[in-house]
Amino acid sequence: MKKINFWAWLWIVLGAVYFFLPLYGTLDFSLREQRGVLSFLAYQNVLNDPRFRDSFTFSTLMAVATIIVGLLLIVPTAYWVHLRLPQARPIVEFITLLPFVVPAIVLVFGFIRIYSGPPLALTNSTTTTNALLMFGYMVVALPYTYRSVDAGLRAIDVRTLTEAAQSLGAGWFTILFRIIFPNLRVALLSGAFLTFAIVVGEFTLANLLNRPAFGPYMVLLGQDRAYEPAALSIMSFALTWAAIGLIQLLSRGAPEQSQLGGVH
Amino acid sequence: MNGLLAWLGVAPFFLFAILFLLWPSSSLIIGGFQDPAGNFTLKNIGDLFTPSIMNSYALSIQISAVTAIAGALFGFLLAYAAILGGLPRWIRTALMTLCGVASNFAGVPLAFAFIATLGRTGFLTALFVNVLGINIYNLGFNLYNFWGLALTYMYFQFPLMVLIMAPALDGLKREWREASENMGASSFQYWRYVALPILLPALLGAVILLFGNYFGAYATAYALTGGTLPLITIGIGQQIAGNVLYNPNLGYALALGMIVIMAVCIGGYTWLQSRTARWLR
Amino acid sequence: MAFLELTNVRKSFGQVNAVESFDLKVERGELVSFLGPSGCGKTTTLRMIAGFEMPTDGSITINGADITYVPPNKRNVGMVFQSYALFPNMTVADNIGFGLKIAKKPSSEIKKRAEEMLALIHMPGLGNRYPYQLSGGQQQRVALARALAFSPQVLLLDEPLSALDAKIRVSLRGEIHSIQQKLGITTIYVTHDQEEALSMSDRVVVMNNGHIEQIGTPFEIYNFPKTEFVAQFVGTLNTLTAEVRDAADKRLVVDGQEIKSAHALDGAQVGEKVTVSIRPERISFYGEIQKVNTMNCTVENISFLGSIVRIQVRTGANVFYMDTFNNPFLELPKIGDKIQITFSAEAVLVLRQSA
Repeated sequence: MKKINFWAWLWIVLGAVYFFLPLYGTLDFSLREQRGVLSFLAYQNVLNDPRFRDSFTFSTLMAVATIIVGLLLIVPTAYWVHLRLPQARPIVEFITLLPFVVPAIVLVFGFIRIYSGPPLALTNSTTTTNALLMFGYMVVALPYTYRSVDAGLRAIDVRTLTEAAQSLGAGWFTILFRIIFPNLRVALLSGAFLTFAIVVGEFTLANLLNRPAFGPYMVLLGQDRAYEPAALSIMSFALTWAAIGLIQLLSRGAPEQSQLGGVH
Repeated sequence: MNGLLAWLGVAPFFLFAILFLLWPSSSLIIGGFQDPAGNFTLKNIGDLFTPSIMNSYALSIQISAVTAIAGALFGFLLAYAAILGGLPRWIRTALMTLCGVASNFAGVPLAFAFIATLGRTGFLTALFVNVLGINIYNLGFNLYNFWGLALTYMYFQFPLMVLIMAPALDGLKREWREASENMGASSFQYWRYVALPILLPALLGAVILLFGNYFGAYATAYALTGGTLPLITIGIGQQIAGNVLYNPNLGYALALGMIVIMAVCIGGYTWLQSRTARWLR
Repeated sequence: MAFLELTNVRKSFGQVNAVESFDLKVERGELVSFLGPSGCGKTTTLRMIAGFEMPTDGSITINGADITYVPPNKRNVGMVFQSYALFPNMTVADNIGFGLKIAKKPSSEIKKRAEEMLALIHMPGLGNRYPYQLSGGQQQRVALARALAFSPQVLLLDEPLSALDAKIRVSLRGEIHSIQQKLGITTIYVTHDQEEALSMSDRVVVMNNGHIEQIGTPFEIYNFPKTEFVAQFVGTLNTLTAEVRDAADKRLVVDGQEIKSAHALDGAQVGEKVTVSIRPERISFYGEIQKVNTMNCTVENISFLGSIVRIQVRTGANVFYMDTFNNPFLELPKIGDKIQITFSAEAVLVLRQSA
């Protein structure tokens, strides 16, 4: 028993070092903009940069839009598949797996091929490009949101809930918005935070669709500054931590549900 | 409410999938088989087999394989330690949380974190110089080449492995070990004949997923190397930006190649998953 | 010397004593059940025999050899688990042959043995199936075959039937018993189901709170429970509060009515309150049969249980049951009727309180 414990501790310690060392290194680095003293100058510079505020606001709005439109699309679909169309489950699940097959870089390539010319020249105006970007984010987040919602639906007895509501005279709108959505609260919030974590730092789609998002801003900053990128890295790490922490807080007590995800 | 009408309920989803997933990707697949005038040709596919493009694929595959296997090994050991190593319960909870965060901490910020840590003026690099008097860059280390990128990618690969393997290790029943001991098997024989074969589909599946996970990655590589490492994703990015190839159809073929490789990966992954699920029903 | 001996075995987990002063001698070929509620220490004791738990104190010997601290994989003891614990990655035949494979037996012998075992459990030709393709009952039969295939000295069964449904439980119970008889293997059978324990065991060890309440044949355990716990746990039992009238003459008073017991009232004082027990099936209607004891009581409830009818009666403060065989021509009393019941002096057991 002692021997097993030694190796177990060793791996855990190594894992912890791998995990924390870059964070510590980055934190340390980000505080050294002023020679000889530790300061938050890099953070101040970042926060005072109007491009930071603009791009971060843009990405946040995109994330919120992606979450709302995504959930409005996915929840009714998953619900409908559970309740009325179990035979569609394999094909819907297949589609939700496809974003793994089509990486973001390939997806955006396809977008540009189709939507940069007639008949659907979406990239010609800012609004439609933003819409295109949002749909791209929805695709990228699809596997995670769908699984989260699907798991939530499995956990509650959708059919009985629906039938109970119907027998009490509720219509479809009432059932969906007053019964199903509230009961899926944890699953929906998990999906939402995960989407948020994915979208805010996303680089590939935003960069290649030429939108002033947070990801491309970070790369731009990385090209001509040294300490500010480290500060940004720490900030987005805190953001990721907050999103994942909220998910885990919400799903406490629920069976361990792994959050696999991210855009790399 | 039956038949066709019921399918109307999922119509918006299918419309979305067609417009923003199936059509764009199939247009690339078709484009890979067309010349600029739109006629059918196999020339693009044939052009994939030129040395520079093959090198790109090879580099992407190599680095994906290295990070997938190393990440899987390390991740497996970590998950094993946390779940079967007889450690306090809080270690496991903490590890799962950290892995949830780390597997999502990727892309540009991750690249920055490694630059700040292991870049030429990074924290660890400086530490090595100041404390040990060693400059790791003089010893051949470089964050911006193959191994540096692999090290960076491991940061989200091994936590992902932990997240995938933890449930599988949890699924190993105590009774299996006891039954095998009861029939005279040693601990090694238990792992050799029972535990590893049971875990194998999950393990291989996870390796495949990690492989695919890296293979399609673009942001971290771009932010770290600025596009100097000729990975296949970087190549496609340059193609989109309009540099280099001047032949969009060859670009489509590049993307087609990626889709094929990813499809094989994910197909293999789902097959192995269903195999384990069947056993452990 | 008995084949399997547990001498003064004790097991504690931290502050908690899971098993205390456990003494048992099992003869070769005997089937002994450990019977008790969950948490009584029966599974812990079994796991100590298998080697998965080390006793805190005491010793365990098999065939004269001390195995108390021998690791489980060196004990040559076969075990069947409640959850079957078949290896999901192996076929039925590979599962059965696992013990022999570990013992490095030639593959021809392993194959032959697997076929023999499949015939023994009435599943010939299913060797190539995987566990997930079998029903629960079939899986447990394979688990039994697997535990027997490497010819262990002792067979241990840990609640092997409790995950199965009622019908299969009964038929598999018979099958396990007949296989055990055929092979003559020394067997320990852990269960919380009294029917299982009584129907197949040579002897039953009734356990409660980590200690042995009573060891005896099923007949002894049922008819002559030594403690109130045993009497309560095995079968349905009426317990009545009585007052001693004459200890030497074994006369007692229940709610003002005198009854006689055939069992000694060792040194009880006159007027002392004691607990007496009577099995429901030993009480009859006075009109049909007449025995030493008669009592007047009121019918409170009647439940029809198929082969028997259970009648709940009251005599003052005591409420208890009597069972009578179902008979379509029997005229049953009605609720509220005053009836006379009768039972023998032997049926009246005076219980000492269990520790």
